Amino acid sequence: MKRCLLFLSFLGVGSFVMAQQSLQAENQNPDYNTSRQKYMASRDKLLTTMGTTVQDTYKAYDWYEAKQERKQQRYLDRRERRMYQKYYPQYDSYRYYRPYSNYNRNYYRNSPYRQNWYYWFW
Amino acid sequence: MKPFFTLCIFSLLLLLAACSRHVTRIDPAETPDISGNWNNTDSRLVAEEMIHDALSAAWLSQFNEAKNRKPVVIVGMVTNQSHEHITAETFMKDLERSFITTSKVGLVQSGKKREEMRAEKADQQTNASQSSMKKFGLENGADYILQGSINSIVDAHKRKKTVTYQVNLELTNIETNEVVWIGDKKLAKYIKN
Repeated sequence: MKRCLLFLSFLGVGSFVMAQQSLQAENQNPDYNTSRQKYMASRDKLLTTMGTTVQDTYKAYDWYEAKQERKQQRYLDRRERRMYQKYYPQYDSYRYYRPYSNYNRNYYRNSPYRQNWYYWFW
Repeated sequence: MKPFFTLCIFSLLLLLAACSRHVTRIDPAETPDISGNWNNTDSRLVAEEMIHDALSAAWLSQFNEAKNRKPVVIVGMVTNQSHEHITAETFMKDLERSFITTSKVGLVQSGKKREEMRAEKADQQTNASQSSMKKFGLENGADYILQGSINSIVDAHKRKKTVTYQVNLELTNIETNEVVWIGDKKLAKYIKN
């Protein structure tokens, strides 16, 4: 009985090996199955962009376009300030641009380098 | 009073007609350059060059001699690495169309269209009659994959600008990974604002 089982198991293993060898093409890498399994698992994810244009664009510096953009940005900033001032008339949006104005007086008052009477009357 | 009122209405209509948008049909083969960006003419020039080059290159005759049948191609991904939004489908479709019309190259569906086709086949398994139902596992396997890239170089100073586009298409043997054809088209433009 033992001999019979041993013979059958050898026969099974042998036929499995033969079947694998017959599936393998000539000169094919014997480890091809490792790569096959890897890509069989991830093929759906890898094929999503097939037949499409993947946009991987960059922004090229163009002197003229940059100038136009700066101009547009200035216009938008001014518009935003005007709108804000319309709804909040007390708000002086330009005060940050006047560093020596009364608004910033305290800063210079506490500063050891700027003890100048000139800044008190602005 | 009445003639004045009529004149006012007439003037208003004339003003509205003058301000309205005006559209004219033009020949797609003669698209004028307006902004200097990628346009229909560029796409057409790339398509013409690629079609001519792909169908006259050695890979086609070599495959025919070796296998005694026409090669089957699948369209892969095209990467746009330029500074503009460019859709490669415009010239890729022209190329695919030439493959079919010349009957020199077979073409199989890829991407979302292939997914849709397989979904339809799956639907047929339960809804179509047995005689008309299409079977799974009988698709044509592609021999080659067509992939590509679009690149650009921009040189600009003050109001002057030069833009060079380089479009490359590559045909690769799926089994051996061997690149059998590289199509190349360069387009250069001088733009003055």
